[in-house]
Amino acid sequence: MSLLKRKKSETAESNGSGDAEAVAKPAKPGRMSQAKDLGVHHGTQAGIDVAGWVDSRVNATGIFTAMMSRHVPKGTNWFYTLGSATMFIFAMQAITGVFLSMYYTPSATQAYASITHLTNEVFMGEFVRGLHKWGASLMIILIFLHMARTFFFGAYKYPRELNWVIGVVLLILTTVMGLTGYLLPFDQRSFWATIVANNITASGPIVGPYLADFLRAGPDFSATTLSRFYALHMMVVPGLIAALIGAHLFFVVKLGTTAPPWVRAGRPKGSRPEEEVTAGVAKEDFDEVPVNGAVVAAAAAPPVDEADADAAEAEEVEAKEAEETEAAVAPEEPAQEAAEEAAADETAPEEPPADPADAPDEPGEGEVNQ
Amino acid sequence: MSDPLNKNSETGETPRVKLPPAEPRGYFEGESMTRRRVFTVASQAIGGVAAAAVVLPVVGFAVAPLFTRGEERWEAVGPLSDFTAEDYKQVVFTETPGIGEVGKTTAYVRTGSEKYDEDPSDVIAVSTRCAHLGCPVRFVQAAQNFICPCHGGVYDFLGKRIGGPPVRPLDRFQTRVRGGQVELGPRYSVTNQLKAVRVRDPGEFTGGIWEYLYPPRPSTFPPPSN
Repeated sequence: MSLLKRKKSETAESNGSGDAEAVAKPAKPGRMSQAKDLGVHHGTQAGIDVAGWVDSRVNATGIFTAMMSRHVPKGTNWFYTLGSATMFIFAMQAITGVFLSMYYTPSATQAYASITHLTNEVFMGEFVRGLHKWGASLMIILIFLHMARTFFFGAYKYPRELNWVIGVVLLILTTVMGLTGYLLPFDQRSFWATIVANNITASGPIVGPYLADFLRAGPDFSATTLSRFYALHMMVVPGLIAALIGAHLFFVVKLGTTAPPWVRAGRPKGSRPEEEVTAGVAKEDFDEVPVNGAVVAAAAAPPVDEADADAAEAEEVEAKEAEETEAAVAPEEPAQEAAEEAAADETAPEEPPADPADAPDEPGEGEVNQ
Repeated sequence: MSDPLNKNSETGETPRVKLPPAEPRGYFEGESMTRRRVFTVASQAIGGVAAAAVVLPVVGFAVAPLFTRGEERWEAVGPLSDFTAEDYKQVVFTETPGIGEVGKTTAYVRTGSEKYDEDPSDVIAVSTRCAHLGCPVRFVQAAQNFICPCHGGVYDFLGKRIGGPPVRPLDRFQTRVRGGQVELGPRYSVTNQLKAVRVRDPGEFTGGIWEYLYPPRPSTFPPPSN
């Protein structure tokens, strides 16, 4: 109940950009009751319950729950772990890479010596370098498998195209990591491989020659080429990858994952993801619905149509702010409520369709406040 | 919301001066921009300037090597009497200083041959950088050909391509004779007719219309006059 209240007060807050004072007052008691619900006992034990203390300020548990206790579609299988496997390999590469950099010298005259020292003399150096070296290959393999899963399961389709685009950029950046990292041992193989890779870059029309100049820091392999590759490998590209993984994950959490095609094929028309999102309703609800005929037919189809109609009407009438609020609030709430209900009663697949009916009400109230 | 000009309307007092309602809302009469909008644009502009002040120098710093040309280097590789017109002699010299062994490169040097309509007083230095992807080629005496180990590029005695994937002849180095010593200078590329052009990276065409796909780079030296 209190969660519902909180949502409404938040809706009001985000709606009332013009008259903030009017909304600020009712928002306060909402926050208090929320703190109570999250287990913070004001006064006596406030300092003891660290998790509660943090929660009452930033709702860390809520964020964690949204991340880790998401509802996943029926039919989710081991192929869905390839993305997180890639991410964990990236984390491993980042950690081992930072420690390798403690011994590495990015200088054309000392790089090879520092690598042999690291490998042969430093305690566990061979192991850490081995992790980094084999992890690099593994990351390339995993990211391609992850892409294949996304492609063959049709998970790149609406509304997840943006995540596909981010994924393609991540794939390119990962191969850039492979290219720049390959030079760093600075033995014959890595040197000539880099020469060849650079010349392949240069043979691209118009921009190729300049791009190769940029990579080499000049018309020939020079003193700054190695340090340039090192900087790209060590700072620039990992930073971009980390940022894009953040965006990638955000979209995964926000949009949910797709059911495998063989599960989606068995669903009635009304529950296809594109229609769900048009109605401003979280797809998780429908993913919860079991695929066996009768329940689906009873539960899924009619409410979606209603919600669709409501949303269409609302779009015409409401101001832009109200629309945005709808988009922001609607997908979250059913998820949270569904979580509560799931805890209370796991065998209640008929419940979710009640939420889509709720969702369009929210902005309606916001309108009254405005 | 209340009319912005009627300041007392919130307290319920009747305003002393009845002002015409602003149209559109939020604008004073005659304004083309609200104050809020002015400050929004101004703060974004200042933020943009601050960001540019950091980003532009850094980007310039990173792309500067594209527009800077290194110092012209000449290195002696032996007395003129060491070289003949009939056969190549392999020499190793430093092309890029400051990076040890990596900066060294190999060239095959001979004097001009009348058999190929060359001036006997000229010294010809052929680079070992394969015109396909930059692997080091080797002059094979028995075949009198340059052969690349990577992808099978084959060049004749003059360095012209006769087989494999390369798209143009082998590069050359400028040469001169100072005090009886042969000196090698900047690298240049040649067309299929052995006309000197500005140096290009391996894999790029010289001569013909395909040359226009690979514009010359400001970081390279102009070619010697033919």
